[in-house]
Amino acid sequence: MTAYLLHLAVLSGIYVILAVSLNLIIGYAGQVSLGHAAFFGIGGYTSALVSLHFGFPFPLAVLSALVVAGTCGLGLGLPTLRLKEDYLAIVTLGFGVIVDLVFLNLEITGGPDGLVNIPLPRLGGVVFRPQGLYIVLVLLTLLLILGLTYSLVRSYHGRALRAIRDHETTAQVMGINTPAYKIMIFTLAAAVAGVAGSLYAHYITFINPESFGLHTSILLLCMVVLGGMGSIAGSVVGAVILAVLPEMLRQFKDYQDLLYGALLVGLLILRPQGLMGRGKLSLKFITKKE
Amino acid sequence: MFFQQLLNGLTTGAAYALIALGYTMIYGILGLINFAQGEIYMAGAFVAVLLLATGQVNFFLAFLAGMAAAALVGVALERVAFRPLRGSHPLVPLISAIGASIFLQSLALLLFGPNDRPFPVQFDFSTITVAGLPLSTLQGAILAAALGFMALLVVFVRYTRYGKAIVACALDRDTARLMGINVDRMVTLTFFIGSALSGAAGIMMAIYYNATYPRMGLLPGLKAFSAAILGGVGNIPGAILGGLLLGVAESLGAAYVSSGFKDATAFAILILVLLIRPQGILRGRGD
Repeated sequence: MTAYLLHLAVLSGIYVILAVSLNLIIGYAGQVSLGHAAFFGIGGYTSALVSLHFGFPFPLAVLSALVVAGTCGLGLGLPTLRLKEDYLAIVTLGFGVIVDLVFLNLEITGGPDGLVNIPLPRLGGVVFRPQGLYIVLVLLTLLLILGLTYSLVRSYHGRALRAIRDHETTAQVMGINTPAYKIMIFTLAAAVAGVAGSLYAHYITFINPESFGLHTSILLLCMVVLGGMGSIAGSVVGAVILAVLPEMLRQFKDYQDLLYGALLVGLLILRPQGLMGRGKLSLKFITKKE
Repeated sequence: MFFQQLLNGLTTGAAYALIALGYTMIYGILGLINFAQGEIYMAGAFVAVLLLATGQVNFFLAFLAGMAAAALVGVALERVAFRPLRGSHPLVPLISAIGASIFLQSLALLLFGPNDRPFPVQFDFSTITVAGLPLSTLQGAILAAALGFMALLVVFVRYTRYGKAIVACALDRDTARLMGINVDRMVTLTFFIGSALSGAAGIMMAIYYNATYPRMGLLPGLKAFSAAILGGVGNIPGAILGGLLLGVAESLGAAYVSSGFKDATAFAILILVLLIRPQGILRGRGD
């Protein structure tokens, strides 16, 4: 039982990291990404491959995941972030599908079987085992990321991002370099998702393309919308609920996706600010007309 | 070989074009993407297949019923997932449509199960030789039907009162309202027509691949969206051209480049188009 609770805690922690990073793009910069799971996967595969083939120690593997996922985010963001919301959504979605197919077709990623025997993380003489210390690793990473996110969104840069979200032209007139900010936040969110991928790969110890497809991207979107777009605390709550709920409602497993779909539509109509969104701010963003 | 691939591409491309027409019309009038277009395609196919499986319905009647059911799903979708959110940040209806898409897909999964259903009526299709080239009558029939639907749509939009009213709404909703056009009704009509065409595409592909399943609309839906952008979103001939081109590119890519990356072709084209010529081949109203 404890082992099971630990498992849920680790998974929730990883999803919280993912949801918070996605919320930076959606809730703060006002852009949609439907391919966030691709960066999660890129991080996971990078970290697993460098550990398996080059014997990188865990910290270096995480760093590689961060750099590679971030670079991919930059590579996608640079040409596409000038696009309007819906175009960006479909491009990121397409990117997710392409990355998924790359994982599925390349030899080095093991095709549909994926990668196995990914080593557990070691620091000094300590091994972080799934039933033991792994949760500490996840929580420390999570706290670090939450701390950084909070200080980012409360800084000058955070205000600049919200200005872009609320009215891009006005933000530009106020002297904010909007493309640079959008690319920055997109790269940052991709890098953070890469770290989450690394944590996931070394925890589960085997990965295959299934974990990083469109379904995961949409689950992450649900977490952000449920918690409230533009609320970090909301993303934490949303991610934990949607990570734990399916486990508790195992007997209703078939109805899970039905619920997610209804949840998205229902929330947007009835409570667009989500569970934790600050009513006024988020509502303004929601009801804003172009 | 080349001719055969070209023909395969045109056949799937015709289906993409029909779905792309739905996207483009809805984008034209509301300025938003109906992410659930692929599920409407699936709904049309399922209704036709289930009706035919009873063995008591004529093929053409089942085809029409499938289109009608798809149209109704589209209209209901607009009422539930789009209309309450009109005038909000463009992100909001987008996410709502994604929700509706997941909902419809999992509903179909619950109602009909995950397995492929074969098409209940077997046609006696053969291969005929035209000018020394082999031509399957099935592909010929699908292409002819798709082109027929497209021609009907173009005539409707260009020459009828309602078609012109839809164009007026797409050009400027407020002015159209001032001219006495009931904009809400035109939006409903647009969803009705666009969804009926997607439903028709769904039935044709259910025959072509001999498989109907809950997730069948996912990839065709996304690819058709790429097709709409390729041709110029909001532009009706553009959607047709984009769909056919995309189908051919995909088929030739699978044959001569890599079959594993067949599904990536559409998205690679999409990203390239958005970078190089975001307004599409035939200038649409995208930015």
